[in-house]
Amino acid sequence: MAQEPADVLIIGAGASGGVVGKRLSEAGFSVVCLEQGDWLDRADYPGNKLDWELKARKDWATSPNIRGLAQDYPIVEEDTPVSPLMYNAVGGSTIIFAGAWPRALPSDFRVRSLDGVADDWPIDYFELLPYFYRTDRDFGVSGLPGDPAYPPDTEDAPMPPLPIGSAGMKVARGMTKLGWHWWPEFNSINSVAYDGRRPCVQRSTCQSGCNEGAKASTDLTHWPKAIARGAQLVTGARVRRIETDAKGLATGATWIDRDGAEHFQPARVVVLAANAIGTPRLLLLSASPAHPDGLANSSGLVGKRLMMHPFANVAGLFEEPLMSWQGQFGDLIESLEFYETDEKRGFVRGARWGLAPTGGPINTALPSRAGEQIWGADHHAHVRTHLGHGANWGLFAEDLPDDANHITLSSAVTDADGIPAPEVHYTMADNARRMLDFHIERATESMEAAGAYKIDVDRLMRYSGWHLLGTARMGDDPKTSVLDRWNRAHDVPNLYVVDGSCFVTSSGVNPTSTIVSIALRAADHMVETRSEQQVPA
Amino acid sequence: MSTVIDDPLASLGAGELSTLRGVANRLIPATGEMPSAADVLSDARLRFVLSARPDLLEPLRASLRPDLGDVVASRLEVLGRDEPAILYALQLVIVGGYYTDQGVRELIGYPGQMALELRSWEYPAYLEEGLIDAVLARGPVWRDPSTGQRAVIEDAPRTYAERFSAFERPREGGL
Repeated sequence: MAQEPADVLIIGAGASGGVVGKRLSEAGFSVVCLEQGDWLDRADYPGNKLDWELKARKDWATSPNIRGLAQDYPIVEEDTPVSPLMYNAVGGSTIIFAGAWPRALPSDFRVRSLDGVADDWPIDYFELLPYFYRTDRDFGVSGLPGDPAYPPDTEDAPMPPLPIGSAGMKVARGMTKLGWHWWPEFNSINSVAYDGRRPCVQRSTCQSGCNEGAKASTDLTHWPKAIARGAQLVTGARVRRIETDAKGLATGATWIDRDGAEHFQPARVVVLAANAIGTPRLLLLSASPAHPDGLANSSGLVGKRLMMHPFANVAGLFEEPLMSWQGQFGDLIESLEFYETDEKRGFVRGARWGLAPTGGPINTALPSRAGEQIWGADHHAHVRTHLGHGANWGLFAEDLPDDANHITLSSAVTDADGIPAPEVHYTMADNARRMLDFHIERATESMEAAGAYKIDVDRLMRYSGWHLLGTARMGDDPKTSVLDRWNRAHDVPNLYVVDGSCFVTSSGVNPTSTIVSIALRAADHMVETRSEQQVPA
Repeated sequence: MSTVIDDPLASLGAGELSTLRGVANRLIPATGEMPSAADVLSDARLRFVLSARPDLLEPLRASLRPDLGDVVASRLEVLGRDEPAILYALQLVIVGGYYTDQGVRELIGYPGQMALELRSWEYPAYLEEGLIDAVLARGPVWRDPSTGQRAVIEDAPRTYAERFSAFERPREGGL
């Protein structure tokens, strides 16, 4: 007997998949989600254990190529100076993301109109604002209302701000001396008990999973609610391709279980939520005689315009002990002082700064960010003066779209199921290099104003591709975009892409808040237009 | 997850362990009250590291191979030049064993990543010091797409107190 098709098949149980799964199941849709990873038990997370810093560099690394876990797929990255980072599990990369929760700014949606580069979005900040409020509530956001870097809000963050720590205070005083913008960071991390989850304990191990469940991840915030409404979440399910019928409609997906057996999940609507590497990979893998260049790719833009936010780090060292191995990671404070374009600087657009904790003694001896290794007689003095005495400005540069930065399918490398791996081809643009150089200078001045006596700089961090964006952009013209303004593929009317692939430009801020707000907007639209939705016979 | 090995030290010979302690002593020597890494890297500590990171065993063994000679400095130089990933594994084993030792942690004043109680009800020091007021006094920072210029909001609050007396905000959900 044929399997009954799901109303909606979601591929990927991460941030955007969780949002869409919850919204649609609450609206009465039958939802099936295929996730190649598994459910995780936060008691197993290493953050509260002695071997945390050792495991953070392997099994809990942010790069799937370093982890090499069974649920990961390899990424060919010989042709990129920045490695894409992600996690494959229920919750996706929210398991290991920092939790920083800035929104894209109004100007981010009008880059062509304002700065004459790239493209405008078909939507704007104010259209997204109600969704920002809803996702703030659903994920649980802590923050201080009133940041003048954004238009005034009519709704505050649902929780009070997290502390900014001694390091945050020190740098905030320096920023005040300079007359520069700073603000306590908004984080999707509980500052008080919220929605059945505990408050943060400031352990600073957010990127190795949150032992407390204080940091929002969709395995906690969304999937249990979706499942309670009937959603079916299948783990260990690696999708090989999306299938289509003679009319060009998606009919479901072929997937492989942990034992290598192949299955087909039929669906009336397919939603891709597999991040801006995994989604174009699947669309390219779904090529057929009817669409030889990949599914939904009549524009030729599937996999192109990859943006990853080139990232630099400026580390200040202070005489006073700051206990800066503690605190949300997440950010303590942020600055958007130099976010907007000033053409006198020699580049367009700008960067966000986020101040982060600095890690434990192993990271002090073998720094993963800016810093140096000191061995021999001076090693102990180095550790004593550095451990807990630092503050790190992370600088996220806006990455403008470029067709040359793209994903292809590897002809040589496959995952464990024999499916071609994605190959990343990426070059940092001159505009971004000039931007980062400028921001490194300003962030250095900030550290000096705060009283830092030594400053180390990492001018482009390799393992910084946290923000994967742009490889199936939205737009009104099917010739120049993959998706319409509601995240629906122009070419395939029952195929949606709700992850960061849809971004037209990258903004210069951590994108999760914006990704999930766009995903929620798309899900709302699916609910509102369900009676008009084309589905396969 | 990484493969678990029953006793990772069983595959390391006495010569390799001796070489390891020689390198450990050079990278992290005893200074003042601080012990050397060679003194700290007991079999138990090495087992701890290699149990957490069994993937380090093979590169560690490669870093200790006899053909790199008896001189620690030249061993490190050659590895750094020709096999940086192998050198990194060697360093990580030594550093990992050293800084997960309780005595070393006490000496450097590092208690580990602690679970601290948040005191969210306390008035933040940055508000007390007027640091937020200084930011608000400068007005909006965002660029208004309708004008292309920095936004102008006539009644923007210029202090945090003004922000909270300006209007009643709706609050949905949450606490």
